Amino acid sequence: MTTNEVQTHTLPNGMLVLTKEVHTAPVATCWIWYRVGARNEPGGLTGISHWVEHMLFKGTPTVPRGALDRIIARNGGTFNGFTWIDFTAYFETLPADRIELGLQIESDRMINSLFGPEEVESERTVIISELEGYANYPETWLDEAVKAAAFTAHPYHHPVIGYKHDLLAMTRENLYSHYQTYYMPNNAVLVLVGDFQTEAMLALVERYFADLPAGPALPQFYAVEPEPQGERRVKIQRPGPAEYVQIAYLAPDCRSADFAPMAVLDAVLSGAKALTSMGGSQTNRSARIYKALVETELASGAGSSYMPSRDPYLFELAATVRDGHSANEVELALLEEIARIQRDGISAEELAKVSKQLRAQVAFGRESVTNQALSLGMWEVLDTYKRVDTLMDEIAAVRADDVQRVAQTYLTEKRRVVGHFLPTDMA
Amino acid sequence: MQLFPSTIPTASPAGGASGIATATRHQLSNGIVVLIQRNPSNPTVRVRGEVRVGAINEPATQAGLAVFTGAALIRGTPNRTFQQISAETEERGCSVSSGGGQHSSGFSGKALVEDLPLVLEVLADIVINPTFPPDEIARLRGQFLMSLRENEQDTRSQASRAARALLYPEGHPYSRLSSGTIETVQTITRDDLVAFHQQYHPAATTIAVVGDVEPAAVIAELERTFGVWESAATPPVQELPPVPPLSGMQRRDVDVPGKVQSDVIWSVHGLARSDPDYYPAMMGNMILGRLGMGGRLGENVRENQGMAYYVYSGLEADLGAGPWAAVAGINPENVERAIQAILQEIEQFKHEGPTDEELADAKAYLTGSLVLGLETNDGIAGTLLAIERYGLGLDYIDRYPDIINGLSHEDIVTVARKYLSTENCVVVVAGPL
Repeated sequence: MTTNEVQTHTLPNGMLVLTKEVHTAPVATCWIWYRVGARNEPGGLTGISHWVEHMLFKGTPTVPRGALDRIIARNGGTFNGFTWIDFTAYFETLPADRIELGLQIESDRMINSLFGPEEVESERTVIISELEGYANYPETWLDEAVKAAAFTAHPYHHPVIGYKHDLLAMTRENLYSHYQTYYMPNNAVLVLVGDFQTEAMLALVERYFADLPAGPALPQFYAVEPEPQGERRVKIQRPGPAEYVQIAYLAPDCRSADFAPMAVLDAVLSGAKALTSMGGSQTNRSARIYKALVETELASGAGSSYMPSRDPYLFELAATVRDGHSANEVELALLEEIARIQRDGISAEELAKVSKQLRAQVAFGRESVTNQALSLGMWEVLDTYKRVDTLMDEIAAVRADDVQRVAQTYLTEKRRVVGHFLPTDMA
Repeated sequence: MQLFPSTIPTASPAGGASGIATATRHQLSNGIVVLIQRNPSNPTVRVRGEVRVGAINEPATQAGLAVFTGAALIRGTPNRTFQQISAETEERGCSVSSGGGQHSSGFSGKALVEDLPLVLEVLADIVINPTFPPDEIARLRGQFLMSLRENEQDTRSQASRAARALLYPEGHPYSRLSSGTIETVQTITRDDLVAFHQQYHPAATTIAVVGDVEPAAVIAELERTFGVWESAATPPVQELPPVPPLSGMQRRDVDVPGKVQSDVIWSVHGLARSDPDYYPAMMGNMILGRLGMGGRLGENVRENQGMAYYVYSGLEADLGAGPWAAVAGINPENVERAIQAILQEIEQFKHEGPTDEELADAKAYLTGSLVLGLETNDGIAGTLLAIERYGLGLDYIDRYPDIINGLSHEDIVTVARKYLSTENCVVVVAGPL
């Protein structure tokens, strides 16, 4: 994407606005991003950011519960909201001539969400139902245990959905206070992409957002995960259909100079992915992990992942163990793939391949205005929207020995958590 | 206070040409239908193809054969091994894939536009010349068996399997999942795959190409790659046996131990895509269980009672009358209460039909959101395939608003009463008993 087509505006209340005109289809998208997620949750209030996100669909004085989805549907639009470790985001994608509706909705619910006590209660069980749906999958139990072991001091320790007992105990006052603390124009980024004229759009943005008051200073965030002093291992034993393996290394955040080599390393291991926390990926049957784990029939599926994050997060490997093999064997095979790169590096051909794959992923991501806004907004809350462009240059500048070096530096025994899911008897 | 007064227009259709406004339809010399839409907005291209032969063409004893065959296409040809196909396409950032489904078998490719010739060449090769190498078939079988074993402990998949078995008579293709079972997938041989692939036929094939392409060049390239495909066989015939109506409420509870949530399904027989009742049924389904946060079902089960994170209804309308079903993920303690709530909403919808507001909302959504579905190459390609599959004509998008706006309260209530039932229906719960 060429971010020189992106215009930035900062309102007097501190809200940053990014706009980009795209006239290829009569469609526009409106996103609002808040710099709040699981990262900002103290112990006892895990899952609060996600619950607050749900409450923003539950009514304001002018748009009662149920009216929001109806009015968007009536205008031919789609909408959603999601919460992640570092941010919470909402969007409406609409026929271009209706996009003002997105501004109205986001401006209204940034300040006026009701958090009605009955709505809080009914949403409590909806969210617990969401949690229980995830808990039906063995991989969820393993993933939570691995992350809990990987972070001892940093709140990335706990799942975004939260712990069930926190969700049972949380009060309306807790939720409302979290909302009032973080849902402020000075903690938000508005992103508009689509078939509109920037000047007219900015006039609308002014109308809906300029009068919102700036909030007080945000709570200071100072948690740092200390350097791990040795491998940690976790074992989950529950009913399940297979053994699963997950390995996580404490890895650099997205502002690190080593972010691009790590992203290339991930692509070398299991194909290029869109460099956002959502989005597409490349088939990866010629990549190292597929060849070493799936083609050898040790695993029925295997891959790696590395996502941009605000603070150091994780570089992960995961696999589903095939019948007749064990989690131990699969763990060794995954670790051997890391060791090979640490020992021998990667080839020039591999580097060229993943570089083209990453370019293609960026081009696919540009097909929809929704994805373009996602990419701009996510990078802005993590670092700067300009990374959407500069990242391609960073990746082009990665050399094969950078990839080997970051593998040696970060993917060490001391920095890793190894998790096994071992099924127990169903009886 | 008035909701959102100011400047939002409420009725005018969104401006601009629709995403398939300049789509063209061609037939290759061997009968393959080709649909092309130029979309110059990005340097990318999407290819989606389908052959109308699928799980409904396989015998019950070989359930899973169409899915297995579809996935195995990519595992090797006389010209390229599986590893070469992967290396050659992934080296250039292309993704190619193939797979079988209930009614058809599909293949697709996604690439930067400069790599379209490679994608078409590889796709034609795997569709026309698959060799089904025995060692690759063994690997693939192992992956399918693992995934079937995982499904055995998946509440959603178990509920769906049980509901189909109750809805359709034994032997009817809709009575089973197209993924097959552990038993059938174990017994499918390489010869079975070869024989099933022989039913693939150019005259039963459609290919959509959407992206920054020149249509004439794409047609020439398709003639070169897919045009050489000849089949001596007659094109496959797709027929379904009759389905006796449901009698009484049939309930099944499937034990999936170790789970913390149950999946609940209510279902009846829906209708074929070609049925004149299709549009009112589709809109009725939208109001019952889709619009906004899951329609009326979502309003009751999720919003009012807080019993579920997901609850929705779905209507599978293709060659035959697939299930018309409501689905919800529910805490085991609340299962009976949730079933009652779903049944009550269905009864009430049958009784009163949609409100004027619901009808207006559904019409506005279905017509207004058309442009959203036609934004990406993939969305456009999927729409073009559906237009060809159901014989809708390339003017379908232009005709669609009139079809939708012509539906009345009476149309929907009539169809709801004809198909929906809480007396003659299937109810399945899969979870910890």
